Formats: sequence, structure tokens, C-alpha cells
Amino acid sequence: MRTLCFLGAALLAMATPLAAAAHESSLKIEGPADAYVYELAPPGSYDLPRIGKAADARLLDEDGETVELGDLFKGRLTLLTFMYLRCGDVCPIAATRMADLQLLAAEDPALARQLQLISLSFDPAHDTPARMAEHGRAMRLPDPAAPDWLFLTAESQAAIAPVLKAYNQPVGRKADPDDPSGPLAHLLRAFLVDGEGYIRNIYSADFLDPRLLLNDLKTLQMEAH
Amino acid sequence: MKANDPHSRYQTPLHTAGAAVILCAGLLFSAAPALADETCQSPYMAKITGEEEYVYVWTLGMEGVGDGSDKIVTVDVRSGSPTFGKVVDVDSVGGRHEAHHGGLTDDRRHYWVSGLDSNMIFLFDIASDPANPKLVKTINDFEAKSGGVVGPHGAYALPGRMLISGLSNSKKTGQTALVEYTNDGDYIATHWMPTADNPMGAINGEKADGYGYDARVLPRRNVMLSSSFTGWENYMRPLGEVVNDPEAMKKFGGSMVLWDFHARKPRQVFEVPGVPLEVRWAWGVDHNYAFTSTALTSEIWLVYEDENQKWHAKSVGKIGDPAKLPLPVDISLSADDSTLFVDSFMDGMTRVYDVTDPHSPKLIYEKKIGSQVNMVSQSWDGKRLYYTSSLLANWDKGGEDNEQFLKAYTWDGKELTPRFEIDFLAAGLGRPHLMRFGSSALYTY
Repeated sequence: MRTLCFLGAALLAMATPLAAAAHESSLKIEGPADAYVYELAPPGSYDLPRIGKAADARLLDEDGETVELGDLFKGRLTLLTFMYLRCGDVCPIAATRMADLQLLAAEDPALARQLQLISLSFDPAHDTPARMAEHGRAMRLPDPAAPDWLFLTAESQAAIAPVLKAYNQPVGRKADPDDPSGPLAHLLRAFLVDGEGYIRNIYSADFLDPRLLLNDLKTLQMEAH
Repeated sequence: MKANDPHSRYQTPLHTAGAAVILCAGLLFSAAPALADETCQSPYMAKITGEEEYVYVWTLGMEGVGDGSDKIVTVDVRSGSPTFGKVVDVDSVGGRHEAHHGGLTDDRRHYWVSGLDSNMIFLFDIASDPANPKLVKTINDFEAKSGGVVGPHGAYALPGRMLISGLSNSKKTGQTALVEYTNDGDYIATHWMPTADNPMGAINGEKADGYGYDARVLPRRNVMLSSSFTGWENYMRPLGEVVNDPEAMKKFGGSMVLWDFHARKPRQVFEVPGVPLEVRWAWGVDHNYAFTSTALTSEIWLVYEDENQKWHAKSVGKIGDPAKLPLPVDISLSADDSTLFVDSFMDGMTRVYDVTDPHSPKLIYEKKIGSQVNMVSQSWDGKRLYYTSSLLANWDKGGEDNEQFLKAYTWDGKELTPRFEIDFLAAGLGRPHLMRFGSSALYTY
């Protein structure tokens, strides 16, 4: 099984014990299964009902170009997470899980073509397109077979606020702005969005298991056929 | 730091990313450790940091008492506040719906409360002004949208969603389901409970009885555990009539169901005779077990996973004298998994068990709270407890025994010491039932 050594630079940049722990576990795709060993229902054996329409948003890509989130969803399967680069706790964990998923999906060319990962910053003042691009270069698998992974931000805090509201993503400022795990507090959620722009699952940190995500993606693929 | 130390989940240096994920699921709104909050809540919820500031009491209206309507009663529990221990806000929803249970959304912005009789669900905004909840949405098509589920009971936070456990169905019997909604109150899906006729592939499925009550998740094991009560035909009928009707007494739940939570599929059915009600998962990172109590047989039950990842349910102790039908109702497990509070309605007692060994609970304290008692809510640090009195409008006691109160205590590990109490009849409020905690410190965004 391939390793994800290239992740080291990105995660070590977030120099916290948590990030280091996340890096250590990302060397092999064992994912949360290291701690959460349980049997998963086979793809297609369960339903993923529509939870609601995934909100559109005008955002900035890594080149600073305007992109419409709703357009990105069309015809793709998307795993969307909210994050910020100064985060020292949940975001590196989520990034590691997404990297693991990227690696797993790369072994399934049909799925890899349909899948895209999106990491969206809610800290646009700090997370400029250039910084997101730098982060993206460190995180993306250097394999043409791997699924796309976009790193998006917004023009301003005013631009991201309605997006956070639409996705029920409360973000607060910690009492200590110098908190080593980052200045912002948030509830980690990842959204699985289908090709018609409907949210089909919402994951907490506990369920960001790449095997589980892969099963959900395959379930949606099977549904389309 | 001990694995079962409640704060270890938030402060321990992490050795694995898996452990980090557990930590991060809870550490969300502040850098400060979570010291308060209510234990026994959904693990998906944001946590209060510091002490709870308000207790929101979902209260049944009572004819001739105040406006007679069901209502949210907001009580100030801030130590040192000039209105400490006082009602600071009352929000009637109009009419009597058999107010019973409810819960907070994962972002803790909304408090969902429901009516077992009217099937209406009321969504209160408790974030904009935690001292002054506001009704923002009413769901009045629960039965139609869910495909015939009635008696919306608990409201349990899932990521971005709410899980409503039903008690009954359009025929008023006990076959029921779990119903999912978005946080905005839009219907998503219905998951019917397994029955012997339709076990849905569950192990021991021939023992499934289809009843429902509580449903709670242990995410890291991908399991959900549900319990069983009775249908509308019994819970809306006077208790005296029910217990004297042998046919009615056959229509109570005696099972629990372990689900594959991710797939929402029943995995295994346990026979738990005598109406298992509240489900309380342990919090410790390696504590793969839950407690429940059985109302009619007066026992504490343990549902646990063994070293071979097989799940079992067994009785681990009696509550009071089962022959006297004390009727255990709510239970509350401390955040360090060491102490279980068990309320019993008929004798008005709270009993405290040392459950450090979950297979062998030991009674360490008991106290009569009132002529009747039902719900108990405990702060995360285990130092403050709140009790309410009402069970169901037609099951509460009559005459002078119909005490209706909120009583607050401190707990020092040895005894309960009164902090304040509110007489809900004298205050013109009604029958207090479910409590949830709120705090303005959460909403800094």
C-alpha cells in the first residue's frame, strides 16, 4: 500500500501534537479504523436520502478567480469540508482523512474521475488564494489518477458568512487568540454532495473514515446506474 | 490521566489520530475545557464551557393552572444572579399537546420540543438570546410526512440533523419508527423499528416487538441503541386503568435494538423485559457500554460489547423493591462514568449507584425528592442536579400528591444539598418535564 509521505510538510507546518499524531496515522490507509474498528455495510445496501439542497456560493479558487460552488457540484460527487489554515486540531485531522480518501479513490479510475474534494476556508482574511494554493500543493497526491482536490476561499468575511449560515457552520473566536490550536472554534462537518447539488450525508469527525466515505460514494454511483 | 476521566477527552496529549477525532468532536466552541454542561446528551453537540446559565423546562399545560398551555419555562441558574433560581421567561405554545421530550440541535442553536398527543414539534431559537427563547418554527405534519408515525418523543442531535424517536403510529398501537429531519425542520427519512414479522435481518430478530422510546449513538463503534415503551392507546390513558387492564399491560415494549448507525439498519435485538426506557452510553474512550432501566421490572440493565466485539444485554441490579413497583423513569450517568442517578416515579426517590464496575452497580445514596419525581439532569462536572416531577398528564398522581416542581441540588459525591426549588403549580406554570441547559457563552459568533 502506498504511503503519504508528502503530507509531512503540510502537517508539520501545523506544528502541534495533534497534527503530528495525524501525520503519523496517515502513513498507511488504516484511517479512523485504527481506533474505530467496525464492520461497514456494503455499498448499495443502504439509502442516502436527500438531506437538502447544497447552497451555492461565490468563492475564489487558488488563482484568485471567481468560482460558483453550485457549478462545481454539477455532475460530480463532492466531499466538501470547511477549514482554516491556522487550525491545529480538527482541520489537520480532516485533511488527513481526505488525503487518505484521495489515495483510495485513485485506485478506482471511474470514481476518481467523478469525485472531487473541496476544502473551503472560513478565514479569508488570512487564507488568501495564494496560501490556499500553497497548502493545496502540499496536500494533493502527485498522481494524475487521483481525484481533483480544490482549495477555495472567499473575498471577505462578509462573503463567507452567509455560506457558513447556509451550511449550519458556526464559527467563533476563542477567548485566547494565541491558542496553540488556532484562534477559531468550529464544529467539524463534511458534506457529501451529489451531481444534482443535493447533500446526501453529513459527517462528524468520527465518521471521516475513508472506507466509509468510499462506500457512500459507491452507493451514490450505483444509484445513478 | 485516566481513560474515564471526563476531561481527558479534551486535554490529553493524543497518541493516535483516532483519539484526536474523539477529542475534536467535543472541543468546538472554546479553548477552555468543558466543565459544565449536561451529561447524557448527544456526542455530536457543541458543549457548554463553564457552568450552565439557564435551564429550559418543557412543561405540560394543566387545566386551571395559569394559561393551561404547554410552555417552555426558562429558569436562571447563574450563581450570584439577582434572578438566580427564578423563572425569567415563559413561552406558551398554545394548547395542550402532551409535552414530553425534546432536545438541542448539534450546533445548539435550537431546542426542539414535541407533543405526544398532537404530534406537533416546536423549534425554539435559544441562541439569539439564551435568556429569552423564541418559537421560530412549528412542524404540524409529522404524522403525514413520516408515513404514519405518531407520538414524536425524543429529539436527538445528529450531524446537521435531528433524530425523532416515535412512540406510536396512526392506529395508536406501539409499532413505531425513528424519523430524521434537517436542522431546519425539513423531513428526511423514516426508519421503522424491526418486528418479529419484519426483523430486517437483525440477529435475534424474532424477538423484535416494534416499540420505541429512546435512541442514542456511540459513534466510534458505529452503533445506535433504541429502547421501547408503549403506544398512544396506553400512554394517553389513565395509569390506573392501564395497570388494571391485563390486555393493555401486554402492550408494552420488552426489547432493545442495536443498529448499524451509518446504514440505519437493525443489527441485533435484545430481550429486555419490562419496558427499557432511557439509554445512556458511557463516555470513556474505551467504555463500550450503555445503561438503561426497566420501568415495570425495576432493574438496571447493561448493554455492552465484549472483547470479541459481540454485544450483550443483561440485568445488573434491582432498583428499590420491584414488588412495590417503584417505576424507574429517568436515569443520568456522570461524565466520568462512575455514578448513575436513577429516579423512580411512584416513590419519588432518586437512588445513586456507584457504577465504576458497570457489571455490578452498588447503591451509595438515596433520597426522596418529592411525592413523585421523573426527570434528572446533571451538570458535566457532576456537581449540580436538577429534578422535575411530571411523567404524563394522565399518569401523574392526584390530589396533594400531585406535586409539580423543579428542584435543584448540589452533589458532593456523598449527598444532595438543596439549592433552590420552584413550585410549578403555585407559579401557574403546569407540569414540568424535560430539562435542557443553555449558556450565552456558547454563541460568540
